[in-house]
Amino acid sequence: MHQARGWGLVCLLALTSILASGEARADRLDLIHKRGTLIVGVKADYPPLGMRDANGQLVGFEPDLAAELARRLSVGLQLTAVTSANRLQKLEEGAIDMVIATLGDTPQRRRIATLIEPHYYASGVTVLAPADTRLSRWTDLRGRKVCATQGAYFNREMAERYLLDLQIFNGIRDARLALRDGRCIAWLYDDTALVSLRLDPEWANYRTPLPSTLVSPWAIAIAAAESGSRLEHAIADVVADAHRSGWLIAAEQRWNLPPSSFLAEAHQRWTRIGTDGQPVCARLASGEWPAECRDASRLTSTEVSGLRHFGLLIRERTGFDLTFVYDAYDRGQFLTGLWLTVQLLVACTLGSLLVGCLGALTAESGIPLLGGWVRATAAIGRMTPPLLLIYLVFFGLGHLIVTRFGWPVDGFLVATACLSLYAGCSTVFALLDASVVLKGRQPDFALRWKTLPQALRLAYTPVVAILVNVVKATGMASVIAVPELISASTAIVAEHGNTGVMMNVLMITYFLLVLLVVRLFAALERRVLQRDVH
Amino acid sequence: MNAGYFNVTSTEILETLWVWTPFLASGFVWNILISLAAMLIGTLPGIILARMRLAKHQSLVHASLVVTELMRNIPTFVFLFYLAFLIPVEFEFSGQVYAFPAWLKAALALSVAVVGFVSDNLHAAWRHWREGDHAAALLFIPSWTSYLLIIVMASSTASVIGVDEIVARCNVIIAAVGRDELMLWIYLYAISYFVLFCFPLSRAMEAVKNRMQTRASSALSKKKRES
Repeated sequence: MHQARGWGLVCLLALTSILASGEARADRLDLIHKRGTLIVGVKADYPPLGMRDANGQLVGFEPDLAAELARRLSVGLQLTAVTSANRLQKLEEGAIDMVIATLGDTPQRRRIATLIEPHYYASGVTVLAPADTRLSRWTDLRGRKVCATQGAYFNREMAERYLLDLQIFNGIRDARLALRDGRCIAWLYDDTALVSLRLDPEWANYRTPLPSTLVSPWAIAIAAAESGSRLEHAIADVVADAHRSGWLIAAEQRWNLPPSSFLAEAHQRWTRIGTDGQPVCARLASGEWPAECRDASRLTSTEVSGLRHFGLLIRERTGFDLTFVYDAYDRGQFLTGLWLTVQLLVACTLGSLLVGCLGALTAESGIPLLGGWVRATAAIGRMTPPLLLIYLVFFGLGHLIVTRFGWPVDGFLVATACLSLYAGCSTVFALLDASVVLKGRQPDFALRWKTLPQALRLAYTPVVAILVNVVKATGMASVIAVPELISASTAIVAEHGNTGVMMNVLMITYFLLVLLVVRLFAALERRVLQRDVH
Repeated sequence: MNAGYFNVTSTEILETLWVWTPFLASGFVWNILISLAAMLIGTLPGIILARMRLAKHQSLVHASLVVTELMRNIPTFVFLFYLAFLIPVEFEFSGQVYAFPAWLKAALALSVAVVGFVSDNLHAAWRHWREGDHAAALLFIPSWTSYLLIIVMASSTASVIGVDEIVARCNVIIAAVGRDELMLWIYLYAISYFVLFCFPLSRAMEAVKNRMQTRASSALSKKKRES
């Protein structure tokens, strides 16, 4: 009791000294050393990150990190239980030196506290689903009924990024019943909170098949006034060392947390050696960490250069997040998508023409049964929605081929074949119509390889309309996970939530591609017609 | 075909399809409703654009041509995603919260193609009508109906944004049945709905068109003979 009052007095003194003199700023680190104890706020209700053991002691992943910090600062440790509601308030009051309590790093929190980089952990959102549910990608959940719990901060964001049909329930029990009764196919929840649920035998038959998304890094927080202090510097060094040495990963294993990809990546990043043989992630002359060692989403335009500076500047000034311009990974993803879409356009256009010409030639070949068969098939093919055809071939036939021959089917090939077949069937009829007209003009006309150009020229307008339509439909390849433009754009939206920007960029890019194809065909038509005149 | 070859008996296949028929059929009703909604939504602006193309002011004609070209070249499938992501799930209007259902987003996306179609075809029909060739102008009606069938086929894409129509229901059945061998048959069965609905109607519309065309040409030659 006496001690507590003593610390309160010291805190008060420290506070008044900060207020009294601007230049000779007292560092909280001096206070901690003088006091000989580090006071850390941790959670008591978040197993196994912060909880009470049988003796009522605060234990867990976060208390362990606090102990490591105290050890490195060569001071004693005092843990104080905090809640999500009071942790930052206690910090500001000076009742505690720092908060290590599942605190996600957000811009709002950065305004009221100093959040320390590197981050020490990260949580994300994932789904819990019965073990026999087929789920391998987040897009498998698009439009499906997914249970969620009332008040979770990520509900709206997830519904918007992945187009989920969220069924909101009041609590964990209600969500579990709904999931068991099949009223939804999965339950959306915080991945770190699911860890403790998994220990419950009632959840034994459930799995988390999807990688965590909306990953938010957790930071140690100190008071806002301590920004740039030696205390901040010292804590950051300890956390960086804990990443380098694998201490955090060992702690994660000790507390039976599932392996977090965040910690694995951070370990890799912090142990990387540059071309000069020096560690990449070492403090710069300014005392800052290099930009590539920091969380990309926390950077501001003043901290980086080049395209990244330009992109972040636009984001800060206008709110437009052009990640596909400044983020190297997104840029690669977007350009790969664009290139695949261009390949799809060309392949489907040529494929449709090939199917159409071969079909029309066979139909007119004069072989008795074959001609009729081709006409009938083309008539049915024209009435088959291409999306269903893609599903039929990729999943239905694909399953047969894999189980019987062991060949996995390629999504790009399936999409090209199906779209070519669909548009090819319409092309057959356009050519046959042209052939009828030509027969009216020249009684001895027969559709053969040699007379095909004549028929194509006559059927130019309808055939081009068919080809432009198939170009517009190439996006359907995205439903079987071909990483083309739509897949790439929705993946970037899922990662960054910049829905407005990405959807407009996607729309404009696709529109320009279609326009380009239309103009190319128009130019071709002019040349063909000119040749006819001469 | 020997169904046993595919590790399922034909009775199993028929039984599964029979059990799920009401579910799939009601899904197909959604496809037709979405398509009709798309046709209705797209026809009105199409009529305005077609009318503008016949205006005396060149600027009106020009504006209509630009908009029509735009509508013609917008890829419907991409536009579907665009609307799905950018129109909020619900919106507030004078204190009331209204939901914006996914099927309406699908109908809106599909209607873009309808605008272009109506603008082009009605423009031609209107000109025929003004020239006194009423029979040729009336060809617009069977053309419009044939276009509805194209939209019905395109409505299957609504499944990708979570509309509960026939293709989405196929995937629900596959997940519920849990037999990979049945996928092929379920998709084939769904395709048969489209073929059986669209094929006779498109044949009928072609027949109507042909009869109207012959009547139109005979009327025209009669007129010529009289004059």
